[in-house]
Amino acid sequence: MKEGRLRTYEPGDNVQRFLDLLGRRITRSLAVSMTACVHCGLCAESCHYFLARPDDPTMAPVWKADQIRKIFKKYIDWTGRVAPWWVKAGSLRDDEDLNRLKNIVFGSCSACRRCTYNCPMGVDTGLLVRFTRGLLTELGIVPEGVFNVSRDQWETGNQMAVTEQDYLETLEWMRDEVRTELGTASVDIPVDKPDCEVLYTINPREIKFDPRSIAHAAKVFHAAGESWTLPKWGWDQTNFGLFSGDDKLGAYVARNVYEAAERLRAKRIVISECGHGYRSTRWEGYNWADYDQKLPTESVVVTLKRYLGEGRIAVDPSRNPDAVTFHDSCNIARSGDLVEEPRWVLRRVCTDFREMFPNRRENFCCTGGGGLLSMAEYRPLRLEVAKIKAEQLRATGAKLVCTMCHNCVDGLNDVIKHYKLPMRVVQVLELVSNALVVPGRNETKKTAR
Amino acid sequence: MPHIEVDGKRIEVNEEGFLAHPEEWNEETARLLAKAEEGLEALTAEHWAVVRFIREYYMEKNLAPMVRKMCQATGFPLMKIYDLFPSGPAKGACKVAGLPKPDGCV
Amino acid sequence: MSDLLKFVENEVQLAALAFLAVVYAVRLIWIFRFRSRKERTFAAGSEAGGVGYSLMNVAMPWAMESTRKRPGFYAQFVVFHLGVVAAITATFIIPYAPEIFRIRAVAIAFQALLAAAFLVGLLRLVRRLANPVLRLISSADDYLSLTLMIMFFGAGVLAVPNDYRRAEWPLLLFFGLTAFFLIYVPFSKICHYLYYPFTRFYLGRSMGHRGAFPRGRKAGTQAPGPVQENRG
Repeated sequence: MKEGRLRTYEPGDNVQRFLDLLGRRITRSLAVSMTACVHCGLCAESCHYFLARPDDPTMAPVWKADQIRKIFKKYIDWTGRVAPWWVKAGSLRDDEDLNRLKNIVFGSCSACRRCTYNCPMGVDTGLLVRFTRGLLTELGIVPEGVFNVSRDQWETGNQMAVTEQDYLETLEWMRDEVRTELGTASVDIPVDKPDCEVLYTINPREIKFDPRSIAHAAKVFHAAGESWTLPKWGWDQTNFGLFSGDDKLGAYVARNVYEAAERLRAKRIVISECGHGYRSTRWEGYNWADYDQKLPTESVVVTLKRYLGEGRIAVDPSRNPDAVTFHDSCNIARSGDLVEEPRWVLRRVCTDFREMFPNRRENFCCTGGGGLLSMAEYRPLRLEVAKIKAEQLRATGAKLVCTMCHNCVDGLNDVIKHYKLPMRVVQVLELVSNALVVPGRNETKKTAR
Repeated sequence: MPHIEVDGKRIEVNEEGFLAHPEEWNEETARLLAKAEEGLEALTAEHWAVVRFIREYYMEKNLAPMVRKMCQATGFPLMKIYDLFPSGPAKGACKVAGLPKPDGCV
Repeated sequence: MSDLLKFVENEVQLAALAFLAVVYAVRLIWIFRFRSRKERTFAAGSEAGGVGYSLMNVAMPWAMESTRKRPGFYAQFVVFHLGVVAAITATFIIPYAPEIFRIRAVAIAFQALLAAAFLVGLLRLVRRLANPVLRLISSADDYLSLTLMIMFFGAGVLAVPNDYRRAEWPLLLFFGLTAFFLIYVPFSKICHYLYYPFTRFYLGRSMGHRGAFPRGRKAGTQAPGPVQENRG
């Protein structure tokens, strides 16, 4: 690992280092979020942690944000410096205090920004939490799971330490599977092909544990006659920098993707179905990396919508007859732009699409967001407060819950298992691939029957 | 320490239902984990083929194998793994094989 | 009218106002000294549209679930803040345009609004004391600021008739409180209105850029009628 990339915890004057970092890193928009809160408490009921634990005031977003706010008040804001007791400013004493702060910002908040959307003052508690996580990460005061994944992403360029050989072999394997399925050798999963229309980037879990989605994508790209490629390096669109609050890691991983597109002279970057990956690669990454956006960067769901809209692929919705509901991912709906696009696609590839309530930018987190899936120590609380999500899912009566985020797939699977819901999680690409009509192949199948 | 109880036996697991002490795994544990966590009443020869491969791979490399390696070693097509283990290769098969939870977005 | 009352209504107020202006200026400079980040992505929406929507949030109770679900809370907010506007306006009307309050209807309207704000203030104090979340997070400043506002509204009700011939103490109380406010406000939570344009601007700009603000008609929180289970 290169020097200074990821720090491990060292005893010492961590409090002073934390305060130095706080002073150095804070931006204007964060500073006003630190000062503007009027303690009205309206945010409490927007948070699934508080809704599931209404008798525990420490679950309210305002309390969680106050734990960092009071440090800001004590050391940076004037009233707090002069009269700390008056505004409940509080000092940091030791590493134990920092550890407590870690448990709050990592353990009791998925940074879903639902409270941000419900704050009359416009205080961005979701961003304050991420900011605080970043300060703690810099001191190595970070959950083990987040540390391990961040380390892998720094060292191997992808969050699951997949080797180049394993990556290439899995892609070949999936190519062969699709060739067999469609009965044609003309299908390909190109790697590092220059001058393509689409540079496709994925989540390492697709390589390591669930490559079905790569096969689905290959099938759709083939049917649409797309010129596309995956890069040999810079293929991981996920980004633990978003979760750990480490902008440097965020910049490094995102830049890998942008540089791959530049190297291969691709016309656009397409991001497979992943919420935090979309937010990181489409929105935050360019800013973290100080890299001016040059290419359209879109979610594969937008690509699918374009194919359907332009008639480049044909679908038969009757192949998806089960009732489907859609779960908006926080990072896409609240920190990004896409809410109608996935619905537009689903209405065309399924026969029974139904909303869950609340939905779109007001949907509840899958409970595994903000990196919580990789923090085993906070899982019991996560599943306890998932009761809000479980009720919301159950009320739809749908058999399938569709989401355009890999993280939500696992988060929702945990909820479904824990609360014994009669549902299965699917993704948009899977439903589109199911419904896809590939002329030659389907005709022969039908006549054979 | 959280635990699960199956058939009157008690297994210590971590917060995510993965074996707390992966080194203490044996076939009996696998059967109990499969029942409790995957809803599998019995493990067939096909299940065992996958589980044994994962176990051996893990003992050798201290790492969960990629799903491709599972398919290569057992000769099963990809979909078969999902048929055998409803929670999939990571949270299903690896769990029954007594591995700790793989890192990352899984 | 006594010299004391004249002094309190004029020189003291102007001095306090000047002080407020100076502290605000310092505060604004303080805010602008924090760095701001450059946006490097293509926009999916309009930053100006997002900022406008975000700033107008205060007048759109339907825009957020938190206020949509609690119309009563929003109504209280409106009354309370209109009360503030009325009280501040009164501090200028009384010394500089006293004829306005000689119109009985105007004086009564002001008194009614201030009285309503006074009651809302009491309700808010009760809520702050009774709600466990608010109790846990509230600071001395939260309690004092609210109590002062309640007193200010109360004093306003008494002062608006501007009947200094009968008794000067309501006016002295009202203007004394005003002067104290002008000095205390910049150091208290009351100056949140100074931050509102900033938080709202940054949130609106960022969400507008990403196309998340303004939020369309399909805000999408409530089910159309009761949620049916297992329709399929």
